[in-house]
Amino acid sequence: MDRKLAQIYFGILGVVSLVFGVVNILTTISGKSLLLGILEIPADMFRGGWGGLVILSAGLFYLSGAKRLSEIHHFSKVVMASILLWLIATCDIFAMVCESIPGGEEGPFFNTLHGFFAAYAPPYKPAIFLLPFSLVVIYYIYKRRSE
Amino acid sequence: MRLTTDQRWGLIDKIAKKTITFGKYEHTLKDALGELTIKPLSGIPIAIAVLYGFWSIFCSFAGTLCTDGFFVKLFDKHFLPWAQRFFSQLPHWLYYILIGEPAADNCFEAFGVLTSGLFVALGVVLPAVFIFYLMFTLLEDIGYMPRLAVLIDTVMHKIGLHGYAIVPTILSLGCNVPAVTACRILETKKERFIMMTLLAIFIPCGAQLGIMQKVIPATMGWVLLYLLAGYFIFGFIMHKLIPGRSPEILIDVPTYQMPTFRNVGKKLRMRTVCFLKTAVPFVLLGCAVVNILYLVGFMQWLSNTLSPLFVNWFGVPKETVSPLIAAFLRKDLAVAQLSVIEMSKYQMITAVVLVSIYFPCVATFVMMFKEGWRELLGSLVVLGTVVFLYGGLLHLIWMLLGVA
Repeated sequence: MDRKLAQIYFGILGVVSLVFGVVNILTTISGKSLLLGILEIPADMFRGGWGGLVILSAGLFYLSGAKRLSEIHHFSKVVMASILLWLIATCDIFAMVCESIPGGEEGPFFNTLHGFFAAYAPPYKPAIFLLPFSLVVIYYIYKRRSE
Repeated sequence: MRLTTDQRWGLIDKIAKKTITFGKYEHTLKDALGELTIKPLSGIPIAIAVLYGFWSIFCSFAGTLCTDGFFVKLFDKHFLPWAQRFFSQLPHWLYYILIGEPAADNCFEAFGVLTSGLFVALGVVLPAVFIFYLMFTLLEDIGYMPRLAVLIDTVMHKIGLHGYAIVPTILSLGCNVPAVTACRILETKKERFIMMTLLAIFIPCGAQLGIMQKVIPATMGWVLLYLLAGYFIFGFIMHKLIPGRSPEILIDVPTYQMPTFRNVGKKLRMRTVCFLKTAVPFVLLGCAVVNILYLVGFMQWLSNTLSPLFVNWFGVPKETVSPLIAAFLRKDLAVAQLSVIEMSKYQMITAVVLVSIYFPCVATFVMMFKEGWRELLGSLVVLGTVVFLYGGLLHLIWMLLGVA
């Protein structure tokens, strides 16, 4: 039952990642970034195009691995998909951290407390949305190890 | 007591039975993840992701946080006005060499030894090189580099090298000097010659990348694409023309492991200190030499003499001659100089590509000389040809596109 649930979960996560990846690439081709509530899909070549390609790859890894999670090689694909999403999300968060510390071109050396926290306000990039959902794989890694 | 061969083998069997346990080996998650990074179908997307992470963290740390966030402000708003006031009593020629242009309001335009020289060395290059080597060391210690070598082996064989050539190539993105030394991991003379020549011509160092990211962020992707294309095209041509062997490799691929803080710290310190010792004196010297050449009128004379070649063949302004002279001392310094010359976007791409592929910086030159003067001479012949053909080709492309 638990395994079936995991397969469905990672399958859905794979489809969502795939869609985010494709939309990212299409947005980059269109050249105009997309803002949907608190979700921002960047249109620049680097975060939109290159990053989108990595998210798309993560989606494919999820879909390819979710079929037979009990088998280690398939499970490793799911783990790798999560690692790819962590990589992109970490880079996005690190970019926010780097922007939040200095005080801006005309401001003081260090940012004000308000400015610092404002840098972490939405909109967020797709990988940051997918990050909490991808963390579920850690539970399955530990579960597998204990088995 | 002497044993016969059969008795020895019998003894070995007995010891083996007592000491070795045989069983069925089950793949662990670590093994399976390791295999994924080697197989082309899964390994290539992973390599693309790793490079994304590498580049993203490089730009965020070196560009956004350190250079734009703190150093530009520190140097332009505090250090430059102070230096201009403090040294205002100096004779004009000495002021020009040390502080540079009196009317300049930022360190890129001042071009003095103590203004642009220090800013480029400490404000731009140091953060770039630090973060580059930190990530390179992490990839090395995690165990990803041998996997990348296996993954890229087939492609590298097309240019007469093998997968391990990726180590000097990536190392060169930090600094060409240790990369030239790293060419020794290649077995044959042919491989070493091709690698050294490609490094000297087509791989921009970390300092240059840092400066490019600062002054031409919008066109940097094109410049890198053009250099990458040149790396493979000229590598392929050299492989076909140069006699010699390009043997296969047999690599021991270690399992993935957690890097230790101590090892990473040691390597990082060693590489960064080595880079600073090599780079900073040349950046400062470069500023001084270029300023002296300007003061004695040599640069103007050289610009006028070479202007037909630069304007008609390469399609760039004649003022780009002096950055090319500076490029011999430090290429990052040369790109910084280019940024203040008035040019179109396309001329800027050509000029930066020319600076990149032009003569290796003097520190690399010395390292190549140490590896053998014949190889150095050969590399310089290839380099001259590449600069002439590649620069002209770029101009031709812009003309055909109607943007030159």
